[in-house]
Amino acid sequence: MTEVTRRDVIKAQAVAAAAAAAGIPIPAAAQNLITEAELTDLKWSKAPCRFCGTGCSIMVATKAGRVVATHGDAEAEVNRGLNCVKGYFLSKIMYGQDRLTQPLLRKRDGQYHKDGDFEPVSWDEAFDTMAEKWKKALAEKGPGAIGMFGSGQWTVWEGYAAAKLMKAGFRSNNIDPNARHCMASAVGGFMRTFGIDEPMGCYDDFENADAFVLWGSNMAEMHPILWTRLADRRFSHSHVKVAVLSTFIHRSFDLADIPAVFTPHTDLVILNYIANYIIQNGAVNEDFVSKHVNFRKGATDIGYGLRDDHPLQQAAANPNSGASEEMTFEEFAEFVSEYTLEKAAEMSGVPADTLENIAKLYADPETKVMSLWTMGVNQHTRGVWVNNMIYNVHLLTGKISQPGNSPFSLTGQPSACGTAREVGTFSHRLPADMVVKNPEHRAIAEKIWQLPEGTVPDWNGAHAVVQNRKLKDGEINCYWVQVNNNMQAAPNMMEEGLPGYRNPDNFIVVSDAYPTVTAEAADLILPAAMWVEKEGAYGNAERRTQFWYQLVNAPGESKSDMWQVVEFSKRFTTDEVWPAEILDANPEYKGKTLFEVLFANGKVDQYELTEKAKEYGNHESEDFGFYIQKGLFEEYAEFGRGKAHDLASFDTYHEIRGLRWPVVDGKETQWRFKEGYDPYVTPGSDFEFYGKPDGKAVIFALPFEPAAESPDEEYPFWLTTGRVLEHWHSGSMTQRVPELHKAVPDALVYMHPDDAQAMGVRRGSAVKVESRRGHIVSRVETRGRNKPPKGLIFVPWFDARQLINKVTLDATDPLSKQTDFKKCAVKIVPVGV
Amino acid sequence: MLGFLRRTWGAVRRPSVHYSLGFLTMGGFVMGVVFWGGFNTALELTNTETFCTGCHEMRDNVFVELQPTIHYSNRSGVRATCPDCHVPHEWTNKIARKMQASKEVWGKIFGTINTREKFLEKRLELAQHEWARLEANDSLECRNCHSAESMDITRQSTRAAEAHERFLFTGEKTCISCHKGIAHQLPDLGQASLMAAPEAVAELSGYLDQ
Amino acid sequence: MKRQTALIAAILAAAIGGAALAQQSVATLRGGTPLADNADPMVIPKVVNTDLRQVRNYPEQPPLIPHKIDGYQIDLNANKCLTCHSREAIEISQAPMVSITHFMSRDNQFLASVTPRRYFCNQCHVAQTEARPLVENGFVDIDSVLEYVKNQQGGSD
Repeated sequence: MTEVTRRDVIKAQAVAAAAAAAGIPIPAAAQNLITEAELTDLKWSKAPCRFCGTGCSIMVATKAGRVVATHGDAEAEVNRGLNCVKGYFLSKIMYGQDRLTQPLLRKRDGQYHKDGDFEPVSWDEAFDTMAEKWKKALAEKGPGAIGMFGSGQWTVWEGYAAAKLMKAGFRSNNIDPNARHCMASAVGGFMRTFGIDEPMGCYDDFENADAFVLWGSNMAEMHPILWTRLADRRFSHSHVKVAVLSTFIHRSFDLADIPAVFTPHTDLVILNYIANYIIQNGAVNEDFVSKHVNFRKGATDIGYGLRDDHPLQQAAANPNSGASEEMTFEEFAEFVSEYTLEKAAEMSGVPADTLENIAKLYADPETKVMSLWTMGVNQHTRGVWVNNMIYNVHLLTGKISQPGNSPFSLTGQPSACGTAREVGTFSHRLPADMVVKNPEHRAIAEKIWQLPEGTVPDWNGAHAVVQNRKLKDGEINCYWVQVNNNMQAAPNMMEEGLPGYRNPDNFIVVSDAYPTVTAEAADLILPAAMWVEKEGAYGNAERRTQFWYQLVNAPGESKSDMWQVVEFSKRFTTDEVWPAEILDANPEYKGKTLFEVLFANGKVDQYELTEKAKEYGNHESEDFGFYIQKGLFEEYAEFGRGKAHDLASFDTYHEIRGLRWPVVDGKETQWRFKEGYDPYVTPGSDFEFYGKPDGKAVIFALPFEPAAESPDEEYPFWLTTGRVLEHWHSGSMTQRVPELHKAVPDALVYMHPDDAQAMGVRRGSAVKVESRRGHIVSRVETRGRNKPPKGLIFVPWFDARQLINKVTLDATDPLSKQTDFKKCAVKIVPVGV
Repeated sequence: MLGFLRRTWGAVRRPSVHYSLGFLTMGGFVMGVVFWGGFNTALELTNTETFCTGCHEMRDNVFVELQPTIHYSNRSGVRATCPDCHVPHEWTNKIARKMQASKEVWGKIFGTINTREKFLEKRLELAQHEWARLEANDSLECRNCHSAESMDITRQSTRAAEAHERFLFTGEKTCISCHKGIAHQLPDLGQASLMAAPEAVAELSGYLDQ
Repeated sequence: MKRQTALIAAILAAAIGGAALAQQSVATLRGGTPLADNADPMVIPKVVNTDLRQVRNYPEQPPLIPHKIDGYQIDLNANKCLTCHSREAIEISQAPMVSITHFMSRDNQFLASVTPRRYFCNQCHVAQTEARPLVENGFVDIDSVLEYVKNQQGGSD
């Protein structure tokens, strides 16, 4: 039998289509059941889902080089055979007809030109043009003039290779993932309260909790498979209660025993009220608190992460301050005592008895509570604070690190945890929770990477929002975007993002599988292999690392992001990018390419090609001549082993449905910081929050402070943005699946019917949604799945034709630098279309 | 006491000495019209959506739920108001229903469902009353607008047409049998939709008890 | 009209091989509207209500809902879908019964009724509107692949 390629199948399809159109009968169509084993046998392989941070395992069927079916993996702990509607249509995400198959460069008269038209070029020409720009910027302005924007959708080794190239190769910390828009406040909360990132609990908490409290999260749409586990628990056990708090009514309210719609930003008030209720009603777990908790008072009036010359920023007393000072329990009790039930009810707009019912769930020592949150808390100008404050109520009651007692930060991207956070692709981070500002941490990294002392720069790089500002200001001139659609995602597109990308001083490169909005804003587009077109690894929200093999070949000349990064490194020598003092002190590095010092370093290239699975392809390893994924992973794993971030061996992960780190002696860890579950806890200590030097977690006293921009007479509505079930993030994959597109074809402006009536519009009316920064034109929906209260509208951001980020505000949490996409002020103007 | 009744009866029965028969007849007629008209006007006033949604119990619970449904918002704008479905149109039945409604006034005064929680608690019972009433009168209020004779099933979706042909036109079922929860949310059916129908349970216990 | 022309042009360009043509605008989903501009929004499309079942791309795909589900209640109180699709209801409704997989618990045991983990039908099953795809999808089902494989076997070797 001849090897059948994807190209052949497409050709056959075309023939079949032509035959059908011409009315020629195809003989085999008469046969209605195929029985021959060789034909009916499908090759099934596992892979984690490409979409959200839940990390469902998928079984993928391939035949003749094509993905022909997918379904939920029955053996996987996470999803036990289930998928959401997006997951069930994974088979089709790679087959949009507009896949990019070759590099495209903006050209005029045969030369690169910023305002030229996109023309196909070879990889050589693409990399040559890129390298020339990079070298020029490095020579003229130094490492600060180049930048990279990656993603929580990078595989572990893609993120690792990119971070290494940027931080150690180009010696620039201007690398940040789009997880900055998504998880940075969660990271800030973990580091501040526990000194170590990521949840202590795991998904097994769903089967053990007696009450679930959703803080702003709409899990029914955003984490549907975790919602199935929550719904299973709620319906199967009648004592279980579900509280849903949000700024508007959505599908998760369908399961709510205690529904609560609160005024935007007053979650700060509600959480302090609950802490106060716990203290006033003697529900503090005094034994736990005295042994395992410290109290600290955080700095206040910290600004809004806007440009330094913004009036709001200048008005702040302690802009960007994460400082705190010691305080006693009594002082904390005094601090929260002003957050009475009456005050909380008045400020939040939630009825007093509802607030009390929520507080009781936390206060009752017999009720195991799981708190869940995602973007409502994280995309918040006080996002780190809210994270801290959720931990406050769990720590006061000792409801933490045990089955069912779990403050659980959900994630939005498949490897926000596994890559963006754990690998350390943030502008201030290194692998295993280390930071670039710490000289010891840099030394550890340089040792593992076998690089000269002083290679890793000691300055915090530009984070996502600052990168866009620096592009606009012409301070970053060479910029590489991989696996994300930031022109559609980043806030304030018209004032910051688009002018930055189109700044004539800048050269923008975008690697993607599809021609996205971001690709259109670029100067060079590189075609990327996606999902099962490459070998990969993702880490989900419960610390579970999962691997997959390359199951099919990528179309045309597309290559994985890791291949692109490693191949690009071949075009630079140390002499071109490193300063003379480092090279003079370490002459053995002179004249070597970055590829040689970073990737062919005796470690990353130590695994032979023969070690890779024979039945699966691996386009990167075949090109580089060694099993590069294994080399990168094992070098990366050195960072965490013995440091409470232990990963199992590379080969293990290909065999099983993932493991939750730390993996010690081959055993995963379900609940961290609790003796009996976590091997890192000192025997006899019961609980140990070992991320902190004294083993104690921190309860922070933090007040309510207002949002960056609130509705006023001119802009009378709150705008909140978010996702829908059927589309994932910017929709670049799901909008290309016809069934998903037809289910939810357009973004709509969800608003209260009374608001619509008051301005003379109705369901289906075209309206302009306008802020001080920009506008979109969309249509009104008054009876859809989301039901906002009066004075608030919701607009999803998946729709490439309606870029709501033209309207959003680039205010960030001053500590985490994460944008608040949930709150800005807009007006609605009817338009006659 | 008995003397008072006798005197009154005597006064009513004795012919008038001051007013003419014509005056009395005309006056009686005019007063009758005034009283009757006033009564009916008052009755009709209580028979409007504005009256029903004057109470927050109705406005914030059931009326809000009605608004996104087909009975409030639809292609032609013809819509049902509260009394269209909940008050019989024919006079005697209407008066009977209105007398029943005095209990609702009682409920209003004593706040039987004055909070969302209380309403949700009571919702199953309230819904069951309405379902029973509509089952008993063969969905009379539905049929005031939805006449089986005027129904052109070729203009319905296939599944609706089939169902109407099999169950409605044969009289096997009445509108409310299938169309519960179309204008308001369904009450807590105790996971009823996951479990077997109540009749089946009754049959089973009958069988097991034998 | 202008928008439609642009859209058609973009689809054509993509169909001809997108990348092969020099072009300013590549973001297929935007149909040629420059990034800084806003196209007129599409009219909210009608929901397909034909009751005609559609072919599944593969047997594991959840079937699409071929009818309107406006206002269908699926919450703590009731599940509207099951009034027709439950095991007990289908004799009356003649609707397809929920798949037997829906009776299996997390531990793959069959339960007495539909498992609560499958309670929210619309997590997997969606209705379809009359909206046209923005870009064609080249997924081919297993029958087409097998057809091709068989032809290859019969032919060249």
